[in-house]
Amino acid sequence: MAKIEVRDCVFSYDDKIDAVKGISFDVQEGSYTTIIGHNGSGKSTIAKLLIGLLEKKSGSIRIDGMELNEENLYDIRDKIGIVFQNPDNQFIGATVADDIAFGLENHQVDPSKMDEIIQEYAKRVSMSEFLAHEPTRLSGGQKQRVAIAGILAMQPEIIIFDEATSMLDPQGKKEINELIYELHEKNHLTILSITHDIEEAVKSDYVIVLDDGKVIMAGKPEDVLMHQKEMIDLKLDIPFALKAVNELKKQGIQIKDTITIEGLVEEICRLK
Amino acid sequence: MPIEVRKLSHIYNEDTTLQMAALNEISTSIQDGEMLALIGETGSGKSTFVQHLNALLLPTSGELQIDDRIIRANEKATQLKSLRKKVGLVFQFPEYQLFEETILKDIAFGPKNFGVSEEEANQLAAKYIQVVGLDLSYLEKSPFECSGGEKRRIAIAGILAMDPDILVFDEPTAGLDPKGAKDMMELFRELNQKYHKTIILVSHDMEHVMNYCDRVIVLNKGKILKDCSVKEFFKESDLLYQLNIDPPSILKLKDALRAKGFQIDDDALTLESVAACIKKEVRS
Ligand SMILES: Nc1ncnc2c1ncn2[C@@H]1O[C@H](COP(=O)(O)OP(=O)(O)OP(=O)(O)O)[C@@H](O)[C@H]1O
Ligand SMILES: Nc1ncnc2c1ncn2[C@@H]1O[C@H](COP(=O)(O)OP(=O)(O)OP(=O)(O)O)[C@@H](O)[C@H]1O
Ligand SMILES: [Mg+2]
Ligand SMILES: [Mg+2]
Repeated sequence: MAKIEVRDCVFSYDDKIDAVKGISFDVQEGSYTTIIGHNGSGKSTIAKLLIGLLEKKSGSIRIDGMELNEENLYDIRDKIGIVFQNPDNQFIGATVADDIAFGLENHQVDPSKMDEIIQEYAKRVSMSEFLAHEPTRLSGGQKQRVAIAGILAMQPEIIIFDEATSMLDPQGKKEINELIYELHEKNHLTILSITHDIEEAVKSDYVIVLDDGKVIMAGKPEDVLMHQKEMIDLKLDIPFALKAVNELKKQGIQIKDTITIEGLVEEICRLK
Repeated sequence: MPIEVRKLSHIYNEDTTLQMAALNEISTSIQDGEMLALIGETGSGKSTFVQHLNALLLPTSGELQIDDRIIRANEKATQLKSLRKKVGLVFQFPEYQLFEETILKDIAFGPKNFGVSEEEANQLAAKYIQVVGLDLSYLEKSPFECSGGEKRRIAIAGILAMDPDILVFDEPTAGLDPKGAKDMMELFRELNQKYHKTIILVSHDMEHVMNYCDRVIVLNKGKILKDCSVKEFFKESDLLYQLNIDPPSILKLKDALRAKGFQIDDDALTLESVAACIKKEVRS
């Protein structure tokens, strides 16, 4: 079932140029979907349309079968959590603990359980020691951890990550990814992740490629990311494994195209 | 003249319950013309360190010397203006660097502040907006009405337009699309090799560190844990795993192949050389 359904959506910031030019796509329930596209292609704009922070000019957006409009805006926002590109834009609380609490209060979480939930999520993102700190006076990666913890704690049905792990160290990225995958499996969470990391797209279930406000390709990563020339022309990258395949071919070794390192190693072993 | 760092410490919120020693007696020197990567886990002190290089933060104790300027605790840095001309810093979050109502004014601000005429400053803005991959139509836009990656490019353009000798970039490719990130790294390399700029790069992207930098400093809990050449650093992935650093894809491939019994040279750090090693062992 489509958890998010976008049809012919148009949006303009200034009524002159459309930033989003008639976009349609689906995000399946329980999927890990990635959106990739060049700077200024409209990714963050779409994220803001999906949570009703910006209002579309035309077209339709359905979340969980419900048409997004003024009447059910708050019902829909209850289902969606978003982590913004700059975490400072979403901190409300004066301390890390307050900030996580604020989201929980908004979701009518039983106050007697709140402390426990805050402790748990702070721990999961390795920020337990910082609960009394001001969220805006943390390091870049710490801010991103707190922003993510605050959203996960609310247990939304859908999470939108707008380059939410771009400043995490590799270990942090791994920890957060494990946490996200766990919630994804356990709670059937639907994830829509906006990213410039092609290797993240490789691991996702479905990839949507944007170019200048339009969806230009969409499908399984092994289909979409194989389009090497298009990917380069769109200012994107191709997966590392495919680069390795290209180099091997250049040196005269016949080998099948693949987008994962595991797949590549398998293919190479077959040649031995 | 090199940058000399002597027993530099920085403590946030000293003498409160939130006290945090972000830098702990760091000493090092950075030579003119180096291309240096500063890496380390979240909260290890990288951004705190680089903000000392142009006196945005002052040491709690210890000092830095850049040419004949000394940056020291509790002492208003003298020649601040000439220091900011000498050392350009692009913040981790570019938003905090943008403030003018148009991008033109924003980029022209720095050069004008250092005595360049308005006309010349505007020409520099026109030049550098294109250097960072945006077209001239952006100049009349507000920097706040831009996408995340566009803001990052504008912040970088503003610093480049001041033509500092030392360029410090705090995660400059976060938020850039893959082509933008590659172009930016190539640009930094050109600034380093052709114009002999000293480049200090804070990054979590090991591909960039491996492919573009000469030296690596690893910070850990406010101390220097490792300081060596890039070549030495990436020779063995064991050290990287120990430091919780995600190795570049090429090292992951090498490790996976070795686990299957392939012989791959330690020195092979490019796809070309690794492919050549593979070629020796497979039937063609
Ligand atoms: N507040 C705004 N006012 C006017 N134009 C805007 C505003 N925000 C973004 N834009 C423009 O709309 C277009 C789409 O921007 P958007 O932020 O959606 O891009 P993005 O795909 O998220 O890019 P990035 O990868 O750089 O974050 C860009 O051309 C941008 O300049
Ligand atoms: N303005 C501030 N006030 C108080 N503490 C701060 C402030 N900025 C940073 N810190 C603390 O100082 C330590 C070092 O932070 P710093 O920003 O230098 O880390 P970093 O290495 O740049 O990390 P990241 O990779 O996450 O950006 C962290 O524990 C952080 O919480
Ligand atoms: Mg964006
Ligand atoms: Mg930092």
